[in-house]
Amino acid sequence: MALTGIQIFKLTPKKNCKECGCPTCMAFSMKVASGALKIEQCPHMSEDAIAQLSEATAPPMKTIKIGCGDGEFTLGGETVLFRHEKTFVSKPRYAVSLCTGMDEATVDAKLAEIPKVDYERIGERMYAELVYVNCMENSDADTYAALVKKAAGLGRTLILGVSDPDKAKAALAVCKDAKPVLNGANASNYEAMNAIAKEAGVVLGVSGKDLNEIYDTVAALEKAGNKNLIIDVTGEDIKSTFANAVLVRRAAIKDQDRTFGYPSIVNLVKLAKGDYQLQVALASIFTMKYGSIIVMQQMTYAEALPLYGLRQNVYTDPQKPMKVEPGIYKLNGADENSLVVTTVDFALTYFVVNGELERSGVPINFVINDAGGLSVLTSWAAGKFSGTSISTFIKENVEPKVSCRKLVIPGKVAVLKGDLEAKLPGWEIIVGPREAVQLVKFLKSM
Amino acid sequence: MAKFVSIGERLSATAPSVNKAFMERDPEPILKRAGDQLKAGAVYLDVNIGPAENDGEDLMKWCVKLLQENFDNVPLALDTANKKAIEAGISVYNRSKGKPIVNSANASDRIENIDLAAANDAIVIALCQAEGICSDNDERMMHCQNMLERGMGLGMDPSDLWFDPLFLVVKGQQDKQMEILEAIKMFSDMGLNSTGGLSNNSNGMPKHIRPIMDSALVAMCMMQGLTSAIVNPNDTRLMETIKSCDVFKGNTLYADSYLEL
Amino acid sequence: MPFNQKPQKFNAKINTVKIGTGDKAIEIGGESSFPFYSFDAPVPVTQKVGIEITDGGLEAMPECIRAYYDGASSMGDIARKAASFEGVDFLALLLDGGDPNGANKSTEELIAIVKEVAEAVDLPLVVEGCKNVEKDAELLPKVAEALQGRNVLVMSEKEENYKAIGAAAGLAYDQIVGAESAVDINLAKQLNVITTQLGVNGAKVVMNVGTAAVGYGYEYVVSTMDRIKGAALGQNDNMLQMPIITPVASETWGVKEASASEADMPEWGPVEERGIDMEVSTAAADLAAGSDAVILRHPKSVETISRLIQALA
Repeated sequence: MALTGIQIFKLTPKKNCKECGCPTCMAFSMKVASGALKIEQCPHMSEDAIAQLSEATAPPMKTIKIGCGDGEFTLGGETVLFRHEKTFVSKPRYAVSLCTGMDEATVDAKLAEIPKVDYERIGERMYAELVYVNCMENSDADTYAALVKKAAGLGRTLILGVSDPDKAKAALAVCKDAKPVLNGANASNYEAMNAIAKEAGVVLGVSGKDLNEIYDTVAALEKAGNKNLIIDVTGEDIKSTFANAVLVRRAAIKDQDRTFGYPSIVNLVKLAKGDYQLQVALASIFTMKYGSIIVMQQMTYAEALPLYGLRQNVYTDPQKPMKVEPGIYKLNGADENSLVVTTVDFALTYFVVNGELERSGVPINFVINDAGGLSVLTSWAAGKFSGTSISTFIKENVEPKVSCRKLVIPGKVAVLKGDLEAKLPGWEIIVGPREAVQLVKFLKSM
Repeated sequence: MAKFVSIGERLSATAPSVNKAFMERDPEPILKRAGDQLKAGAVYLDVNIGPAENDGEDLMKWCVKLLQENFDNVPLALDTANKKAIEAGISVYNRSKGKPIVNSANASDRIENIDLAAANDAIVIALCQAEGICSDNDERMMHCQNMLERGMGLGMDPSDLWFDPLFLVVKGQQDKQMEILEAIKMFSDMGLNSTGGLSNNSNGMPKHIRPIMDSALVAMCMMQGLTSAIVNPNDTRLMETIKSCDVFKGNTLYADSYLEL
Repeated sequence: MPFNQKPQKFNAKINTVKIGTGDKAIEIGGESSFPFYSFDAPVPVTQKVGIEITDGGLEAMPECIRAYYDGASSMGDIARKAASFEGVDFLALLLDGGDPNGANKSTEELIAIVKEVAEAVDLPLVVEGCKNVEKDAELLPKVAEALQGRNVLVMSEKEENYKAIGAAAGLAYDQIVGAESAVDINLAKQLNVITTQLGVNGAKVVMNVGTAAVGYGYEYVVSTMDRIKGAALGQNDNMLQMPIITPVASETWGVKEASASEADMPEWGPVEERGIDMEVSTAAADLAAGSDAVILRHPKSVETISRLIQALA
């Protein structure tokens, strides 16, 4: 984050001594801001001021890694509060929660349920990446360690929700190599928890009764040399949790307050209290604003389908539009005799067209080839949705699998009809409507 | 980024008809000129009552009340060499639409206008000039620093000092034009606001040329980071240029009817 | 050293627009902070939730929603039932049967339904057109006329038909105008400009800037709303200070996550849960991005989103 001349000027001694070679401290500050001079070239700058400046030029939010191997995830590292300003970089990860308060059958059922949701959507694997293992106050260390061990058997990265140092130690003894998160430091235990987290080499989660207490605890941990932290922003209720999540992130990114420059944990189990619909609503809100780890009571398809779709959208880089995989998508029970319809691979176009095609009820082989992730006219203009690219794809991938020889092309590229007829002998090229909304009527009247 | 702040310059005692209205406390011509400027897109109105040595306090109060009552507390720049008149104007000023602007301080005999602005939580236009025209940008920036320090020392937010590089007339000082543009960039790099009497560049040019020169200069200045200017808002070409530059800079969201807003 | 909490203050606010009349009238908008940021500035008016019925009545409903309307037979019954569900602030009537490419119901037939629904309930009413711009230009002015005095929100005013709908709803019959654009921030602003240039009071305009179901290009929805609220508050752009209403249901109930049967997708589980969750997730995301009101169909979704709003108020 670059500093302006005025921010630097405020820290200079304002003596105009000219020893740096500049006529004034202001001129010096401007040259530092533009990178032409280094702050150390001022002989009168205090150590405090230099420390403040180097702090101010560090990234506003730390990048924290949890887990290992396939289960390693990167959290944080954000530089903006709104995706249109640049892009979000680290998508939130969802955790399903287990607790020592659950009986064995419930735990077994949960562990059996978690792997059932595991699918691919536009090139991304969708599953609950994390398991949160919560320790009740009245559970002993052995009970907790046993549950942690059982959960670890699933192979998902764990978050240990435990604030008692002895129980934390017992749990880490059975899982620390997989780099779980130890979520349990607070104002009263942070020294002990810090030692345990450091020894195990794991990320430490910090919580507190309010933001002031969390702030002080994070500052104390940083002073003790630990900057491998996550902030548990879960508060008393929904309102305070949302406020915490926003205020922590905003302090880091907008106000450059590095103490809050860490990823967050939001524990919805404490907020939704068994209301699954409310939990989906809350998970959606915290996916938008600013949860890094979102802990849920369950992740069945009903939760996963909207949440993973939302996350995939929000965490798309605005500079790089989402593309769907090239291929033949069989709709409405299509077989090799069904009509062939094509459009570009730009995800938004694909989804809109796909929706209308499905609504028509007509069996269709929906063919998508690589058009650079652009809309129809843009990709046509860029030469990526051309007579050559379409015909090559049809010959190589469609002709061997589909016997129908009727191809519907988007109305906006009606101009390709002649070229395609020449390049695809035996095919009837049909010009479809210009807008997707007209597709249902068009197909039904064919 | 905030939109460019156009300060309408047409309420000036240098115009005989305006001066006459000031003297006679005749509201009609003043309201007409004010209304025309606001309709054309002025954000602030400059009220230049001249030296006003005798009845400046009464005149400025009368102007402030007249304009703010008729135009929904329009924000004003109080422009006179009479400090007491500026203070009197501020005493009746409603700041719901923006702080008053003290026009202006410089680095020598008028530096105390910074104190006046600080004491009244006002914005001040800080002319980077002492005696005569600055010889180079080192001198300009030295004045800038002195005035900035003075203001900050009095508790002002740096954003309330609007630095004026002093626009120079092309016919006579053509070789200095890029220097002014560079000074604006320096203000902007510092995170400071800036303004100035931009149309001074085209003084003495044929009437039909002036809007062209002013528009070209405002575009170059906005590129350099100029945040405001004292202009004739009824110069359509100039205002269209400012609105277009605001779109390019992302200061306002584009809509097909943007020129009508 | 305690945390230095810096509130983000704006010298601008979203217009407050009243819809409906009498005790049940609602207000939307009025905020001078980002959605749910009550820690920055007091939020005078909470977001509102509407329930949507269509001129297609029971037959047009997914089975899982129809079950909630057991016993209703006429449009008036349906409207009364809809109005009775927990959390409902207003009633939205979607006249999609008017589409010449669909059921192509006549304007007279639809106006009769509009009147029947309006007589059945005293809740604030929102009427949405059929999406065909020519038909809406004929139909919606008649709706505005038929509901004179009810201060209803007439939606579906688009760039192609703003003169007919804006003039009728906003000028002739003094209703609220709902200006519709499809996830296009420049058009959203332009439509407000030209609508107010007709003479319609900007304080009686509400925007529908479009939505998608989550997963379906929803990033454009987020950025459109983020940027509109950012410009409305941060740049004090009064051509973007109209509150936003978002018809969620018409987007979410059509996607396969909400509609694919359990026979087709056995591993996905109960279709009703999927339908509700798609609707709830999209509505929650819309609210977090800047919608001042959302329109939903499933009574459980309405109840959930209403609870969410209360919890964050």
